[in-house]
Amino acid sequence: MGVRNSLASSLSAALRTWLIPRRYGVMRWSYTLQRISGVAITLYFVAHVVETGNVVGGAQVWTVPSYEYARNVWTETVEFLANPLFDAGLIVIGFLVFFHTVNGVRLFLAHFGIILGKPHRPEYPYTPASMTRLQLALFWLSIALALAALLYSVNVFFKVILP
Amino acid sequence: MSREARIMFLHYITGIVILVAGGIHLWTVFLTAPIEENLRFDNSPFAVLNVYRNWVLAGSLEALLIAVAFHGFNGLRVILLELHQGRAWTRTVNLAVSVVAVAVTIYGTRTILIASQIA
Repeated sequence: MGVRNSLASSLSAALRTWLIPRRYGVMRWSYTLQRISGVAITLYFVAHVVETGNVVGGAQVWTVPSYEYARNVWTETVEFLANPLFDAGLIVIGFLVFFHTVNGVRLFLAHFGIILGKPHRPEYPYTPASMTRLQLALFWLSIALALAALLYSVNVFFKVILP
Repeated sequence: MSREARIMFLHYITGIVILVAGGIHLWTVFLTAPIEENLRFDNSPFAVLNVYRNWVLAGSLEALLIAVAFHGFNGLRVILLELHQGRAWTRTVNLAVSVVAVAVTIYGTRTILIASQIA
């Protein structure tokens, strides 16, 4: 029996592994969250570029349109998007953007060797030397700032915390 | 540096560009005035048309567009290549993400160029 490497089986096996990050410590959560947030932000980015395309009147406009036409299309777009469902979506995106950014800075610093620990002889309980306190602190900072962004955007869109 | 190493180096560089240009974008939208004012078409200091008319802000939006298109779609490519391996899959994923990233960049650049000229 050969090694199974069909697209569907390897995709589902890999997704099962990284969508269930328990048992492997906080850095595994960081890995999974970084990927989920990255995919979500990229999808939002495409939607945002399409949505802001309405500033000039939409996808069919490739020359400078009249001021009134562009203003009307943009005003309709803003009115269409002003509802609690889209606001809630933006709040989630705000959380994910702040997490992805700060955790991304941690990954940048680790990738270039700035916050990696020094190698040492492996001894029980085999804590990886690379997982320094600074790395852990930056991970938790990314969660804290993401929560702060979430609270800030809840206030901006729903005005429930401050008037 | 191999091709993939060069791409990942660019992934980190575009991350830094996004940190700066994205910071400017969030600042103009959320911190300069109430959001309702900044979402107006015109007639307030940071209304959408005024952002596109300011060449520094419009330039930072273009930098943000290019950097996010590269960073986001390269991230998607890396995830897809990590989930499954094979020559045909690699070629298909590389081509598909490149085409979508270029299309989104062209569409966004059109918006920035045209919006800055609406009078």
